[in-house]
Amino acid sequence: MSGSLHLGDFTSAANVYGAGGMPRYYGDALVASAASDPRVVALGADLSAPTETDVIRDAMPDRFFMVGIQEANLIGVASGMAKMGDIPFANSFSVFLTRRCYDQIAMQVAYPKANVKLAGFLPGLSTLLGVSHQAIDDIALMRALPNMTIIEPGGPDQIVPAVKAAIEIDGPVYLRLQRADRPLQKDQTLPPFELGKAQTLKDGADVAIVASGLMIGQARQAATKLSKRGISTAVVNLHTIKPLDRNAITQWARRCQLIVTAENHSIIGGLGSAVAEVLAEENAGARLVRVGLKDRFAEGGSLPYLLQKYRMSADAIVEAVVEAS
Amino acid sequence: MASNLEQIANWIRRRDLQSVYEAGAGHVGGEMSVIDILTALYFRILSVNPEQPQDPDRDRLVLSKGHTANALYVVLAKRGFIPQDEISTFLKPMSRLNGHPNRTKVPGIETNTGPLGHGLPVAVGMAKAAKLDKAAWRTFVITGDGEMQEGSNWEAIMAAAQFGLDNLTLIIDHNRLQQGARLLDTNNLAPFAPKLEAFGWAVEEIDGHDMDAICAALSSETVVKGKPKCVVAHTNKGQGISFMSDNVAWHHKVPDSVQYEQAMKELEGTAS
Repeated sequence: MSGSLHLGDFTSAANVYGAGGMPRYYGDALVASAASDPRVVALGADLSAPTETDVIRDAMPDRFFMVGIQEANLIGVASGMAKMGDIPFANSFSVFLTRRCYDQIAMQVAYPKANVKLAGFLPGLSTLLGVSHQAIDDIALMRALPNMTIIEPGGPDQIVPAVKAAIEIDGPVYLRLQRADRPLQKDQTLPPFELGKAQTLKDGADVAIVASGLMIGQARQAATKLSKRGISTAVVNLHTIKPLDRNAITQWARRCQLIVTAENHSIIGGLGSAVAEVLAEENAGARLVRVGLKDRFAEGGSLPYLLQKYRMSADAIVEAVVEAS
Repeated sequence: MASNLEQIANWIRRRDLQSVYEAGAGHVGGEMSVIDILTALYFRILSVNPEQPQDPDRDRLVLSKGHTANALYVVLAKRGFIPQDEISTFLKPMSRLNGHPNRTKVPGIETNTGPLGHGLPVAVGMAKAAKLDKAAWRTFVITGDGEMQEGSNWEAIMAAAQFGLDNLTLIIDHNRLQQGARLLDTNNLAPFAPKLEAFGWAVEEIDGHDMDAICAALSSETVVKGKPKCVVAHTNKGQGISFMSDNVAWHHKVPDSVQYEQAMKELEGTAS
């Protein structure tokens, strides 16, 4: 079993790697946004360091408000501030931010189109802490809400354009964020994305892997391995899960005989379901294989271990493609 | 001073009753209990302008007990936010006067409510935003007493005290009845005052049908600096109509024609 086992979930990554040694894309983007736009404020429900809101708390204390460990009230307060013209970012772990207060999000954010930005961390299996902390249905929940935009950046550095895009949208946005747990290597960086437009990271003619979030890394590794086997494989970053770039999905399905979705989420209700709906409705022809958590809860463990166990690793994607080809 | 308000409240009660009767649905009991409070707010306390419902300096009212929306619609119509003719569209197809209030449809409505326990957290956010802007306007929120069983209210109560929101006033419409039974027989939170005080709020208890008492308790002169304020308004569900008053059956029961005539006669009898 490889991979980091540090308990970074509850610490600021800077504390683990030494102050200044770790990029804090979200925390810095929030401060930069608040500095340039007086409407931007941040709200916390404890968990300041693991949501990187300690950055704005310390840099701009008059723009950060801590409500305490109370997610339902967090959403209500954010909605109230949004209705008065502020742009509140409500921060917590994805699992608490979406599941615990779904009724409040539906009625006080989505229905009245309140200009609230929900910033959720620890997506999917990206935590050691087990099922209670693993958001495996957050995209499904947010996708079912009218008026909600969902953005999952393809990598930590894409958090910067994601925050910018969220502010430019006049309405509710769910940001599904994974923090950098180490400085990014050159081959891990991604160009900025355009909201609502699927981003082609690698071209290919036989198979298109449509992925989001941390599965982008697995998809890129899988594509390299498949290409070595003579299977020309594209990698598409579907960072905007709602509204979906239906046109791009349809075009990839017309071009490639196999579409593989790869998501750090249940295969029910998330990216895979969204793509399946488009393929069925457009009668686009390609076969579909969904890689993700297959209608089950996982368990605590390192990310590499969990990805391997639940058949979501790069090797598992390769095997899925070979089986379907 | 208060007699004029009492006359307005009487008119609103009659119009509300007629509306529920004609629509064949509504929450008449809770509407009768909250109408005096709404009347005092809209005709004496709140700084609002029907010509400019989005005036940024207006006071805000959140009706967290959103099921009594029809009472608010009638008040808003009487105050000039919507045409009085429109009241008769309540619950009808294509009407914007739905069973629960919608801020994107009806001028004067500040917050969509319906699920209980939502209004107070939103009001905390509004009051916090006003503090952030150093604005002078106030935020009022009305909850039902049964609604205080929702835990989210107590989250908001903690946060409001911590934030020192003296620009926020919570009015608990304490009519002792919830949808299916008495609070006493369900999950009895009463007395409210010591609980709110323990959470760091300034609290005042009043007769929620005494206009002078309501106006005095909601006046800006009684604000305690640095503390959010709770007014525990002791009310009667079905107030003003003998057979509905303090009777749990009238949470959302609709009167038949005989009952309607009798109720209207009683209300007319107290109109001056």
